[in-house]
Amino acid sequence: MPDEIRDEIPVIELENVEKYFGDLHVLDNINLRVKKGEVVVIIGPSGSGKSTLCRTVNRLETIDSGKIRIAGEEMPAEGKELARIRSEVGMVFQSFNLFAHKTILENVIMAPMSVKKTPKAQAVKEAMELLKRVGVESQASKVPAQLSGGQQQRVAIARALAMHPRAMLFDEPTSALDPEMINEVLDVIREVAEEGMTMLIVTHEMNFARQVADRIIFMDQGRILEESTPEAFFEAPKTERAREFLSKYSVSTSRLPRGAYESVEKHASGVLGMRISATPEA
Amino acid sequence: MNLTTLLEQYGKLYLTALFTTWTLTAISFSAAFVIGILITVMRISPVGPLRAAGEIFVQIFRNISGAALLILLVYALPYLNLLFSYYTCVIIATSLIPAAFCSEYLMSGINTIDAGQIEAARALGMSFFQIIRNIVIPQALRSSVLPLTNLLVSTMLTTALASQVPVNPRELTGLVSHINTHAVGGVLAFFVSAFLYSATAVVIGRIGSLIDRKVRILR
Repeated sequence: MPDEIRDEIPVIELENVEKYFGDLHVLDNINLRVKKGEVVVIIGPSGSGKSTLCRTVNRLETIDSGKIRIAGEEMPAEGKELARIRSEVGMVFQSFNLFAHKTILENVIMAPMSVKKTPKAQAVKEAMELLKRVGVESQASKVPAQLSGGQQQRVAIARALAMHPRAMLFDEPTSALDPEMINEVLDVIREVAEEGMTMLIVTHEMNFARQVADRIIFMDQGRILEESTPEAFFEAPKTERAREFLSKYSVSTSRLPRGAYESVEKHASGVLGMRISATPEA
Repeated sequence: MNLTTLLEQYGKLYLTALFTTWTLTAISFSAAFVIGILITVMRISPVGPLRAAGEIFVQIFRNISGAALLILLVYALPYLNLLFSYYTCVIIATSLIPAAFCSEYLMSGINTIDAGQIEAARALGMSFFQIIRNIVIPQALRSSVLPLTNLLVSTMLTTALASQVPVNPRELTGLVSHINTHAVGGVLAFFVSAFLYSATAVVIGRIGSLIDRKVRILR
């Protein structure tokens, strides 16, 4: 297969995906394609189905109809094939979900060793490189409960990357974190994005979404309402629902104590600063 | 008969009996542990009939008295052309009942595992057995050390069932009956056995809490 044709096969592809929780239509005719190297950020109000959509991609949620393909391969509903395709898609959860009885290093090497049969020496070497990359190599012999939430989430990212995935899914990766730890995790995600990883991110961090996304998907009531570039979405949302949603994210000075507002403003200007200095992608 | 004469006459037999009790306990508990894990894996497996079989096993052996089970094994199995030695019958009875309890303790240990960890393992592409072996069973075991320690003590006490059938050499309870039928050991003969049981239980308890402290999962 010539490279240009293979590149056109989306890494993640959802076709006419439907899902109900009882009477609730949580995913309503979802069609989504994420190309190689593309960063797609899903935003939307609580209960809009964005997390469900993210979890559907590697079939942690069952679907009622539709097709899910990873790099052109259709994902079966269960069995060995499902496990194999899942191992090619990394996932990071809101609640970190590190294995509580294992050390940080063991968390990262477990799946490469048991699923991919990577020799231990090699798995450890790669794991230590990844832990260094996310800045927690000094914690390698501790157990998850001894780490801060931000550190745990960075380990979770390293654990997913250790499988050399084709794509990464982030399901509200910073929603369970204390405010001061959010940035350290977002920085790691940003770095992974800059290295060309294909990503699907569900988040409430609007500044981050705007900065990191190639494409924004806005969901409400199980449907994709808008799909556009970050600039278009944040500056001129097409739907009334998106405008209403975005209006809630403008920082209100009256509801925050003085210090908090200053730190939010500082963060915002930092983000914008980086945006300006970042070189445009080739 | 006072303690000195009792120990002079039967001291050696007491030691042999203590060792027999320990051996029975070790064999039965090891078997119970392995069977308990297997039954637990059946009970959480995705295969319906296996789950049902696991549940039935637990319901039967958790709810049968040791004496009744031993009688069944000794007197009923020969009708099915299954003839086991008395010793084997005792081992079977004192393994199956603790196995049911072992499974119950592991199940409650499994309930303490956050479902998110299982999801994370599935998302990494791990299979059912890989998840069971690497995550579920290790965590269930680590959080069940104290109940399993109690189970080891109660398994030891259950091996006293062996006093109801002729096994050679005798274990601690069987030896007491022996002494009291051949001599007048009286209540003192019981006390010696009781002391040996208790001393063993105290040691087991100590080791159990040491292990628990060592492997307990920080949350």
